[in-house]
Amino acid sequence: MTRDELNAYRLVKEANEIQAAAYTRRHFLKESAMGLGALAMGALFGSCNFGGTKGNNPVLYDAAHPLLPKSPPFLGKAKSVIYLHMAGAPSQLELFDFKPELMKMNGQDCPPSLLAGKKFAFITGVPKMLGPQANFAQHGQSRAWVSDNMPHFSTMTDDVSFLKAVSTDQFNHAPAQLLMHTGSARLGRPSIGSWVTYGLGTENQNLPGFVVLTSGGSFPDAGKSIWGSGFLPSVYQGVQCRSEGDPVLFIKDPHGMSRDLRKASIDAINASNLEEYATYNDPEIQSRVAQYEMAYRMQISAPEVMNINNEPQYIHDMYGTQPGKACFANNVLLARKLVEKGVRFVQLFDWGWDAHGDGPANSLNIGLKNKCRSTDKPITALLLDLKQRGMLEDTLVVWGGEFGRTPMMENRNGIQNPYNGRDHHTEAFTMWMAGGGIKKGYTHGETDEIGYSAVSGKVDAFDIQATILNQLGFDHEQFTFPFQGRPFRLTDVAGKVIRDIVA
Amino acid sequence: MIILTIPEFIGRFHPILVHLPIGILLLGCLFQLLTLNAKFVFLKPAIPMICLLGALAAIFSCASGYLLSASGDYDGNLVDLHFWMGISVSVISLLLYLMYWKAVKEIFLNVTSAALIILITLTGHYGGSLTHGSDYMTAALKGEASKVAIPPVPDVQKAIAYTHLVQPLLQNRCYSCHGSEKQKGKLRMDNISFMLKGGEDGASLIPGRANESDLIKRMLLPISNDDHMPPKEKPQLTAEEIAMLQWWINEGATADKKVSDLKQPAEIKPILLSFQTGAVLAKKTVAADIPEEEVEKADAAAIEKLKKVGVVVIPVLSNSNYLSASFVTAKADPAVLKLLEALNKQLIWLNLASASITDQTMGNIVKLQNLRKINLSHTAITDQGLTLLKDLKKLQVINLVGSKVTALGIIAPLTGLKELQHLYLYQTGVEQKDQAKLKAAFKKVSLDFGNYTLPFLAQDTTVVK
Repeated sequence: MTRDELNAYRLVKEANEIQAAAYTRRHFLKESAMGLGALAMGALFGSCNFGGTKGNNPVLYDAAHPLLPKSPPFLGKAKSVIYLHMAGAPSQLELFDFKPELMKMNGQDCPPSLLAGKKFAFITGVPKMLGPQANFAQHGQSRAWVSDNMPHFSTMTDDVSFLKAVSTDQFNHAPAQLLMHTGSARLGRPSIGSWVTYGLGTENQNLPGFVVLTSGGSFPDAGKSIWGSGFLPSVYQGVQCRSEGDPVLFIKDPHGMSRDLRKASIDAINASNLEEYATYNDPEIQSRVAQYEMAYRMQISAPEVMNINNEPQYIHDMYGTQPGKACFANNVLLARKLVEKGVRFVQLFDWGWDAHGDGPANSLNIGLKNKCRSTDKPITALLLDLKQRGMLEDTLVVWGGEFGRTPMMENRNGIQNPYNGRDHHTEAFTMWMAGGGIKKGYTHGETDEIGYSAVSGKVDAFDIQATILNQLGFDHEQFTFPFQGRPFRLTDVAGKVIRDIVA
Repeated sequence: MIILTIPEFIGRFHPILVHLPIGILLLGCLFQLLTLNAKFVFLKPAIPMICLLGALAAIFSCASGYLLSASGDYDGNLVDLHFWMGISVSVISLLLYLMYWKAVKEIFLNVTSAALIILITLTGHYGGSLTHGSDYMTAALKGEASKVAIPPVPDVQKAIAYTHLVQPLLQNRCYSCHGSEKQKGKLRMDNISFMLKGGEDGASLIPGRANESDLIKRMLLPISNDDHMPPKEKPQLTAEEIAMLQWWINEGATADKKVSDLKQPAEIKPILLSFQTGAVLAKKTVAADIPEEEVEKADAAAIEKLKKVGVVVIPVLSNSNYLSASFVTAKADPAVLKLLEALNKQLIWLNLASASITDQTMGNIVKLQNLRKINLSHTAITDQGLTLLKDLKKLQVINLVGSKVTALGIIAPLTGLKELQHLYLYQTGVEQKDQAKLKAAFKKVSLDFGNYTLPFLAQDTTVVK
């Protein structure tokens, strides 16, 4: 070591010592408080299971194969779900909830006790009571009441469980639909179909796991958010398909584009996307790659599976399909075909059930009857067809709207509506479930003598979601996804499985 | 809606306030006893202040406790005891504080401190008994007896309705708040006459009129309702239990009649039966969906090979070794079917719907001894292939929809399957005239021949104008 080197070494050593002397014990305690606090925080939050790598609800997302089938944590009775949503809210009082007492009150002023402190979407002042606008009879061994609006379905009462006292806290269509399908009246949560495909994947990798079919001439009021994936990876969002024409828009290769060229271009796009992924590690990029690949596979299998025209004539007769048109019956038949091919969740929306009485199409005596006529036979055929194919055992069918309708006749702005109609009603309405391990010929819940509110067996959207998840083999309280620093559930902090309707 | 007066409102803070004197005084006494050891003498100066604060907190607790006891929902004797003990704690702690100023002998301080510790413990215990019930601590030691509200009776018809069904139920679900120790809402339920007399809101029992009885009305209220009983955080009654109570009240709410002496409408019979020993056992004999015994993990290499060719092989539920296999996107080539053999112990569900399995290749699945469900719908299977199923004794569900099997071909091999529950025969070679024969051969099996049609109704196609 030369003299210069030695001096330099001493200088550095001295500097280090002076610096070290500046760190007093007080300094150490002061500084380490933050560090120790952070350590403690980490330990505390570690038990909250961020990232879900510990504990019993791991993140089920495999970005490279997001839709591979997975086992449920419990033994589920149902493998697939067909959810028939009558958008606009069908009137329980003209379909399933028979109220002879209401008939007696027909035309009378609504008692103030039913109006005090209540808010309605349109009713103002004192409306008149409106008796049932349909004839009812008891059907099957279960002696369930069904009106003459649904002559076909009335033969199926011994196969379904009715929920007569469903309630909600949203009296407008969009939030009520969001609540029913995503567990929140606000936008941004994943829909139940997304949760289910996230949790179970899907058996058929050549088809989407979550298919949405709409009919009735309009989208449901809440729009595409009710089949959105919210904070789940976007690969789980519902894929909207059509029963007529191309099942998925732009599924055919464009003119001049050969199959090989299509494959080559998708490969090139995916290669470039994967490079991007290598740089940024954003799982959404992998989702995108998986979606391109699925779209390519779907080009081969979807046109065949989704073509209802290759079904025999007697099946068409049974469902009452209308070839060449976009209609509910066609969608229902398509739903059966999709489930048969391993699709996990098929969501049907049929628009036009909003019988306010403000016009003929929205009246109980015209519009509602026509909606019943266009859905009664297809729904009945679906149940029977699933049954005879041995599929009803593991396919859960759910029917319902987003809320119910008032026992009062609607008087918009205080003036009687021109046609018989009812306003939105949140306190009690009817839904039913069938198959997938649900009791047959059972009725849960009861409303008061005019069908205004629940007397027993009251359930809400969360309870229905909890029950659907239960039938698929999930405990809705354990089935979570980490987002914004906490595990989220479909049912948030509510929901109770409706054990009474589980077989 | 309960409207609280201001004293009642203050009274409700008692259960929170009491923890102050308990904590502070115990600390004071502890310090005093610690000073016995010379090492801790330095604690001495703090003790008087601690005692004073503790005494003040004890006085406030006593005052709030007095206001709470005035609401009268509690067992009188226990409240009195707790009340006087609480006052003693305040007095003794104040005394202790004064003793420090008078500089009395160390031994007195120590004895008083020790006595105060014991007194505080006892006072706290009685207070806890008032809130949670006197068996709160011992309940855990008694095991899970409280889970079943009604202990099963050997023969429900010979049981006395009140003593054997109603009373045990009320005892497990109601007495802790409406019994001899505590009478919330001034209601006692441990005797029929008390229930008839009722509480603040009138009689809780109206014999013969179950749905007008407060007892039933409150149980039927939605759980979110404040008047719902039992309170929502407590164990609830099941629908069967409520139905049984309704029936008992409607039949006159008798004290000594046997079940067989009371009228039994059809709908109550199965409910009553469910309280009998053996009812639970009867349910269990239905074959389980998956085997109860454990099985070792399947050969991972075989599963991997199957997955490669598109067969979906997954456990029936996560953390089970039992498997399901589906050929929904795979071809059932002989080589692939052969691979299933490696899973013969684990595979319990097999879906071959629309797969290209034939009579010739059926031989590959006869080794799958544990199969519970098999779906052979829309395959080319005939009677010949079906005979091979006769050895799969665990089969519960067989789906033959759209295959070529006939009635004769079904009866011979499948009648020997004792666990069989469902047989789907839509669009098979089974003719209408054979259906009766099949029904006779499979008495315990649900047979579905399908071919459902719906009538053409004028209203299906017409539109209301």
